[in-house]
Amino acid sequence: MKGKDRVIDVLKTLLAGELAARDQYFIHSRMCDDWGLSKLYAHYEHERQEESSHADAIIRRILFLEGVPDLNNQDNLNVGSDVPSMFKNDLALEYHVVGALKAAMKICEEEQDYVTREMLRAQLDDTEQDHAYYLEKQLGLIDKIGLQNYLQSQM
Amino acid sequence: MKGNPDINRSLNLALRSQLTAINQYFLHARMCKNWGLEKLNSKEYKRSIKAMKQAEELIERILFLEALPNLQDLGKLYLGEDVPEIIANDLRLAGEVVAELRKVIGECEQAQDYVSRDMLQEILEEEEEQIDWLESQQWAMDNAGLQNYLQSMMND
Repeated sequence: MKGKDRVIDVLKTLLAGELAARDQYFIHSRMCDDWGLSKLYAHYEHERQEESSHADAIIRRILFLEGVPDLNNQDNLNVGSDVPSMFKNDLALEYHVVGALKAAMKICEEEQDYVTREMLRAQLDDTEQDHAYYLEKQLGLIDKIGLQNYLQSQM
Repeated sequence: MKGNPDINRSLNLALRSQLTAINQYFLHARMCKNWGLEKLNSKEYKRSIKAMKQAEELIERILFLEALPNLQDLGKLYLGEDVPEIIANDLRLAGEVVAELRKVIGECEQAQDYVSRDMLQEILEEEEEQIDWLESQQWAMDNAGLQNYLQSMMND
């Protein structure tokens, strides 16, 4: 089914962000595994899968709307060097995704593409309440219990 | 069965305390959850539910004594802004509840309302256990250090 150009274009922009988020979680998860932080590795791996599923939904929607998804185009990664900087970089990325999703939803509303809008609404829910909230809580816990204890609890 | 009006008033005071406790423990639970302290969330949440069950027993007893349970009236919540304050304020509340229960139990004895007395005595026992638990938390914070204590309250 032929979709609106504005919707397809904004979906392509979102896809570039989701692919970057997926890879940022990918590298962070493997770094945690290398450091022996098994719990954090498992969590990051779960986030990576979720970002992949977001990208998957967007790719399928672009194809359905008869657009061409571009997987060469990907936003830049912000890889952390230790756990606090990973969390901060990931949180900055999630906040950016929140803004991008809201902007895209506005366009869908204007173009009356309510089905794409609903797909993005589900992703916004994940991004806000799952990903960003988790990161905010971890940074808060590091403040409360100290970095060493925090890392111990992620082993 | 018609009860003693003084006892009905006192049972309503005990009810008021439990209604206050439900809210205090519940808000503290969700504050802990928001901080990622899941185990403390679960402890405070269960305590809130227990206060609700205690309130339920009081309500049923007051109705049985042909009086009106007052659910409009609520005491002041003692809210903490961090975990040590939360525990200290819960202890303050539990201390007040225990003092009140002992007073009402004495009144029941005077009025020969032994069934209300027995019900209140069971609530008192649970409140004393709560005080013991809260004191243990303060001991753990002092001896393990606050950071270690909070770490142990992360995972339920």
